Amino acid sequence: MSRDVTERNVALVDLVDRLLGGGVVIAGDITLAAADVDLVYVNLRALITSVATAEEKNALPRMGSAL
Amino acid sequence: MIDLYAITDDPAPPLSEPLTAVASHGLAVVCGPAEDGEVTAEVLWRHEEVVEALMEERDLLPVRFGTRVDDETAAARALGDRHVQLAGALDRVRGAVELSVRVIGHAGGDDLRAKAAAAAAVHGPLSQEARASTQLIPREPSELLRAAYLVDRASVDSFVAHVARLQEANPRLRLLCTGPWPAYSFAES
Repeated sequence: MSRDVTERNVALVDLVDRLLGGGVVIAGDITLAAADVDLVYVNLRALITSVATAEEKNALPRMGSAL
Repeated sequence: MIDLYAITDDPAPPLSEPLTAVASHGLAVVCGPAEDGEVTAEVLWRHEEVVEALMEERDLLPVRFGTRVDDETAAARALGDRHVQLAGALDRVRGAVELSVRVIGHAGGDDLRAKAAAAAAVHGPLSQEARASTQLIPREPSELLRAAYLVDRASVDSFVAHVARLQEANPRLRLLCTGPWPAYSFAES
């Protein structure tokens, strides 16, 4: 995928939502327990928050489309 | 140990090393060697790129990130255990992809009714253009809407154009549309 950095950062918030909160659950062998998911959010939080702040300040293009 | 990426119809398309496909009951699950270590943004993107490349070729059901089984036998068993539900779920997303829309703004300050109205003004019309839609819980106070839409592949362009029109009509809001994503938010019934 050749998303540029801005698009990737905007899309990171959506990516985290989808990979960690979505997808079909099979086998019941999720290695990432709920606590680990929280940890991932904490670790990515600084990056995600900076993206959210930038979005709020209109610092990014109007359409953050990764299309 | 192997990580599971996505479920598609058997046979899976040709895969490049080290990915493999395991088939059972007319379904195939795409697997790769388990990767340990910290879950960083890069790790998530690498996983996503595998699923998106597959999405170019096939309709698929993305598997929850972090799903790991002992070996290919266990992967086949995981398919077999739920094959009826999985085949049904795959059929529901067949021919469609997921688009994400977030709305950011301070409509009417902290007036909850104004916020709900602003979210509905976007979500209502977009839901009409989607096969299905779902709202996720906003994570930031400034987020008025965090939603996912299941859209026919052929309708992606018109959906995105509709988002652009809604942005034009609501200059005080910021509409962030990303995708097309695999149908993560519609994989479970």
